[in-house]
Amino acid sequence: MSTFAPPVQRLITELGKLPGIGGRTAQRLAFHLLRASEEDALALADAIREVKSRIGLCEVCFNLADGPRCRICSDERRDAAVVCVVEEPSDIIPIERTHEFHGRYHVLGGALSPIDGVDPEDLRIAELYRRVTGEPEEGRDPIREVVLATNPTTTGEATALHIAEQLREKAPQVTVTRLASGLPVGADLEYADELTLGRALAGRRALS
Amino acid sequence: MRVVRLSLRNFRSYESADVELGAGLTVVTGRNGAGKTNLLDALYFGCTGRSARTTNDRELVRFGQKVTRVEVETEADDGPHRLSVGFEAGQPKRLTADGVRVERLLDVPGRPLVSVFLPDRLELVKGTPSLRRAHVDQVVAALWPARTTTRRGYAQALAQRNALLTRVRDGAVSPTSLAAWDRELARHGIALMADRAAAIDAVAERFGAIAADLGLDGDPRVAYRPRSKATDADGLVAELEERRTSDLERGFSGHGPHRDDLALTRDGRELRAYGSQGQQRLALLALLLAEREAIAATRDAVPVMLLDDVMSELDRERRGRLVELLRGVGQSVVTTTDLEHVPGGDGADVRRLRVEDGEVRADDLREQP
Ligand SMILES: Nc1ncnc2c1ncn2[C@@H]1O[C@H](COP(=O)(O)OP(=O)(O)OP(=O)(O)O)[C@@H](O)[C@H]1O
Ligand SMILES: [Mg+2]
Ligand SMILES: [Zn+2]
Repeated sequence: MSTFAPPVQRLITELGKLPGIGGRTAQRLAFHLLRASEEDALALADAIREVKSRIGLCEVCFNLADGPRCRICSDERRDAAVVCVVEEPSDIIPIERTHEFHGRYHVLGGALSPIDGVDPEDLRIAELYRRVTGEPEEGRDPIREVVLATNPTTTGEATALHIAEQLREKAPQVTVTRLASGLPVGADLEYADELTLGRALAGRRALS
Repeated sequence: MRVVRLSLRNFRSYESADVELGAGLTVVTGRNGAGKTNLLDALYFGCTGRSARTTNDRELVRFGQKVTRVEVETEADDGPHRLSVGFEAGQPKRLTADGVRVERLLDVPGRPLVSVFLPDRLELVKGTPSLRRAHVDQVVAALWPARTTTRRGYAQALAQRNALLTRVRDGAVSPTSLAAWDRELARHGIALMADRAAAIDAVAERFGAIAADLGLDGDPRVAYRPRSKATDADGLVAELEERRTSDLERGFSGHGPHRDDLALTRDGRELRAYGSQGQQRLALLALLLAEREAIAATRDAVPVMLLDDVMSELDRERRGRLVELLRGVGQSVVTTTDLEHVPGGDGADVRRLRVEDGEVRADDLREQP
């Protein structure tokens, strides 16, 4: 019972699938695009197409990358002995902004959540164990510390606890640390401000 | 902070009413069915966004009408404030604080706290432990608003662990991550138990004194009965591990603070099982009044007491003691069919309201029929 022409309705439906965009906003955005010049509107379409064709996941850490490896994994100045584990690629940005962390990352692709059917096998946890226990690459130090920087939510905490416990068994030589609390409880890393996050990084504690 | 005025439109039996409350005790009189309880519920609705009597908000809309609206005016140190709740069937509730839309009134800082006694609240004494747990958690929230996150965290961890137990039982996943969820559940569980213990601790002594004041004999006590004996997260983890097999069989967690209880006793025996109606009623009143004192001592907010039909079942002496307690501090609203049932209800410091023919009028005692 749509009142719009099918192509318009399709645009509204697609926009409405974006996080944080409700039906009303989707409609407003659609009409904005309809009013925009062809050039402007297609620039958006091209940007989406390009990002989807050129950006994939880093083969080492699963961060976003425009080649086989991401910018951080290709940067020889970054300490390969320290790996910071985050839930999503977007969680890397606030940590980078603090300039407190000089190691590398590992992106899990989510957090454990049995309610949503997300189990360890659905995350890149096995890949992390392999990275930690495997032989280091030519000329690089072996991994010495894993910093668990999953979100301070119930699912993020449980994920950190699970990984910590498994690493204790699989790689007892590795120090496992957790970001010091100071992050607001229930907050997502993405929304934490740089100062708190910087402090949390500086004061990370070993998980026993 | 005090509630100054209550205005309602199309709420239950009322087409409209505009009521000024007293600074201390307000007594609402009227015949059976006049609308006394409805008026109390309107006040509760205006302060919390919820009814004290029903979870079905449609029942609150006056027959034949579409929309109900309740407004509460308060007076705080920083001046007057206004809360409003509007409800129309099929629509989300419209809640505002000082004219600004809000998600929940419960989160509005400085909203009036209310404590309500309805006859069916005796279930709190007689009914299942879940009612008492929920009540204790409300007291925790009233005492320390920031700690509501503890209960929410525990509930989330519990739901996750239960989901995992079912999935493991059904063979959908391996149990490797169960240990992590035990630990996460235990972390929140220990915090929740500490909050509950602290809340009961703040209330227990006051409860004994007030219960005695109200004439409840036999050393009445309130005590927290946690299910777990653990004193730290490691202890709770160990308890969870012991029960893992049975948890896995049932597909849910059978142990932890979601099985806690609150014990109200006289001479060491549970009032739930052995108390008379009058004793249960006095214990509930003492509990609510003790909580009010504890909240007043912790925050500078004294909950408004809403007492529906509480006098009818008390003997004359105990009515007198209750009224004395209520006149002592804070605001309270008491309903009764008979002003006679409220000793001292004719005092100059008492505000009297009379409900008749769907209207509320100030009762100046001169034109009593
Ligand atoms: N949604 C509604 N619309 C109109 N009237 C309603 C509505 N809900 C309840 N009522 C009426 O309200 C009256 C009951 O009011 P209330 O429970 O406040 O009485 P009361 O004064 O407390 O009586 P009692 O002394 O018996 O407890 C009933 O007559 C009932 O029909
Ligand atoms: Mg009534
Ligand atoms: Zn990478």
